[in-house]
Amino acid sequence: MITRKKPELLAPAGNLEKLKFAIHYGADAVYIGGQQFGLRSNAGNFTFDEMREGVAFANKYGAKVYVAANIIAHNENLEGLHEYFKELYDIGIAAVIVADPALIQACREAAPDLEVHISTQASVANWKTAEFWKNEGIPRVVLAREVSVEEIREMKEKVDIEIEAFIHGAMCISYSGRCVLSNHMSARDANRGGCAQSCRWKYDLFEDGIDGTEPISELANEQYSMSSQDMSMVEYLPDLIEAGVDSFKIEGRMKSIHYVATVVNVYRKIIDTYFEDPENYKIDPEWIDEIWKAAQRSLTSGFYYNEPTEKDQLFGRPARIPKYDFAGLVLDYDENTKIATIQQRNNFGVGDEVEFFGPNFYHFKQTITELWDENDEPIDRAKHAMMITKVRLDQPVEKYNMMRKGK
Amino acid sequence: MTLYIPELQASARNIDEVKRLALAGADALLIGHQQFANRVPGDFELSDIREVTEWLHNQGKKVYVRVNAIYHNQHLTELPSYLKELEEINVDGIIAGDQSIYQILSDINSSLPLTWDPETLSTNYQTLNFWANRGLKRATLSNELSLAAVFEMKEKVKFPINIQVHGMTNIFHSKRKLIRNYYNQIDQAYDSTVQRYIKENKKPETHYPIFEDVNGTHIMSNEDLAMIEYLDQILDAKIDGLYIEGILKTIDYNEQIVSLYREAIDTYLDDPAAYALKKAGYKQAIDEIQPESRRLNTGFYFKEQIY
Repeated sequence: MITRKKPELLAPAGNLEKLKFAIHYGADAVYIGGQQFGLRSNAGNFTFDEMREGVAFANKYGAKVYVAANIIAHNENLEGLHEYFKELYDIGIAAVIVADPALIQACREAAPDLEVHISTQASVANWKTAEFWKNEGIPRVVLAREVSVEEIREMKEKVDIEIEAFIHGAMCISYSGRCVLSNHMSARDANRGGCAQSCRWKYDLFEDGIDGTEPISELANEQYSMSSQDMSMVEYLPDLIEAGVDSFKIEGRMKSIHYVATVVNVYRKIIDTYFEDPENYKIDPEWIDEIWKAAQRSLTSGFYYNEPTEKDQLFGRPARIPKYDFAGLVLDYDENTKIATIQQRNNFGVGDEVEFFGPNFYHFKQTITELWDENDEPIDRAKHAMMITKVRLDQPVEKYNMMRKGK
Repeated sequence: MTLYIPELQASARNIDEVKRLALAGADALLIGHQQFANRVPGDFELSDIREVTEWLHNQGKKVYVRVNAIYHNQHLTELPSYLKELEEINVDGIIAGDQSIYQILSDINSSLPLTWDPETLSTNYQTLNFWANRGLKRATLSNELSLAAVFEMKEKVKFPINIQVHGMTNIFHSKRKLIRNYYNQIDQAYDSTVQRYIKENKKPETHYPIFEDVNGTHIMSNEDLAMIEYLDQILDAKIDGLYIEGILKTIDYNEQIVSLYREAIDTYLDDPAAYALKKAGYKQAIDEIQPESRRLNTGFYFKEQIY
């Protein structure tokens, strides 16, 4: 067996808090958006000052910060690129994730030592494209979501370039970047961050020639839609490790810190467990349970094993997925009194069964029996957003552990 | 100064259509095979390509072969020899949109002129100049651009550019077989020969053609682009290639459309005042043959987008 380097676990960070949690829960690198040139115009994008703070935090933990600058630019977007990339380099950003060659060019000119990774928006789907970028001096490509594990293996055999692949999160059902439904249906430019997610809408489907008035979907009692389930490789990660993937990417800059912490925690555990003893690696059902606690849609392995079918799409009523609220964040813990100081993130109170979790897949459940407010007055429920509470615990916790409860 | 002669381009599904559209006034025909190309109106085997190339060259016209699929590893085994065949047949160029084409053409030491057409990704002049430095000879611009942006790009690049002036445009491409999947979901038999379209909820006027081929599922625009009344602006800007997409239209329709654009272009270049008088008539002539379900519009050429 080949001795492999541990792949990087790369997590989304929509803001500074998410960045810190992603790294605290085990991400080797995070990707963020700046105020310009990124595709998530609604994500809480970073100012340069926030980036500096994020990079300083990441550096303390030996983690890297990447910036997504993945728009497909129009002429009017070409201004300010050089200054932007120069600033990112000075801040200490480890790489930029870029889809448009105009931005690659600008980055090269302004900050020749800033690493460029080719974004999934560029649909790198074959080994010749990987070779092309390799010859251009690009160290890493983020693959299109349409490639299989076997195709990745072939790419890695043929081209010495780092491969980043999505392992978890929401997916375009089209080739990313090759869909302008949103432009046409909502006048919102999908490739510059305006995507209205038109693919997930419901449509009526008609057949020409039979009856121009009655949609097929009417007869079938199920409207036509093109909504993909979310990717999850929680059960199959070793296949991607063995295929040679260098960086495992989790989608979701818009998702909550609970989502980021939960998902990162699981994949960190899987990667570490596998590398401790690959021969005897076995999946622990708890990891799968844990992933579902942060899931928002049904889960699929996408194109990794075969072409997705209707079973990988969302039809009919949404599947019943266990829903959990992020109830509180541990700020402090007193070993002597076994009392934790917890910042409320969602209503909770005495009698609730809650679950605590922390890095390294630390977990326990308990029922809350004793609860106090900030002034040590006993209370029944923590109702106010962000209020400081104290809770007596059955087991120890640490700062930045989280408390969740079922909905 | 070189004389400006715009190239009127049209796609064709078979040899008969190639000939009819050429005789109707197209300067260049776009053909291909779905094995290597996206959204071709019909499949041309190499022998067909050889035949139409000879025929078109005898007419003083050009042929471009679309190899604009998004390539996966499996495409790469046969693509180099296919390209070599095309070069040997002496086609006037290929149209591609996968970044690997630059590597492949260099690997096989091919002199096939490349028209770079990455569809939605051809949106600014710096991007095109990047690819020009890697060997493109010509580029097709994205459809989701204003005419003003098109003209700015024309000024800032040194190679010929194409824009689409008529027909439906592609707005979505998935590798998945989404129509088949849907029929499986509703437990109905799927007939691949039927033409289909989708409508947005509560928008009965919408009409988005949708179809599958070996490359996946494609959705086309709600309206047919029709720029025949604005050719003065396009020709003043010296746009090099004006392209008519004939997919999902009858050959009769395409033949008339090509002939109208031929006449309109020639009229304008010869006598702008005459074109000004006649352009409403050209538009009316299109209205008369336009299928009822397909409205005409000007796409994004005069439309703002937000993001």
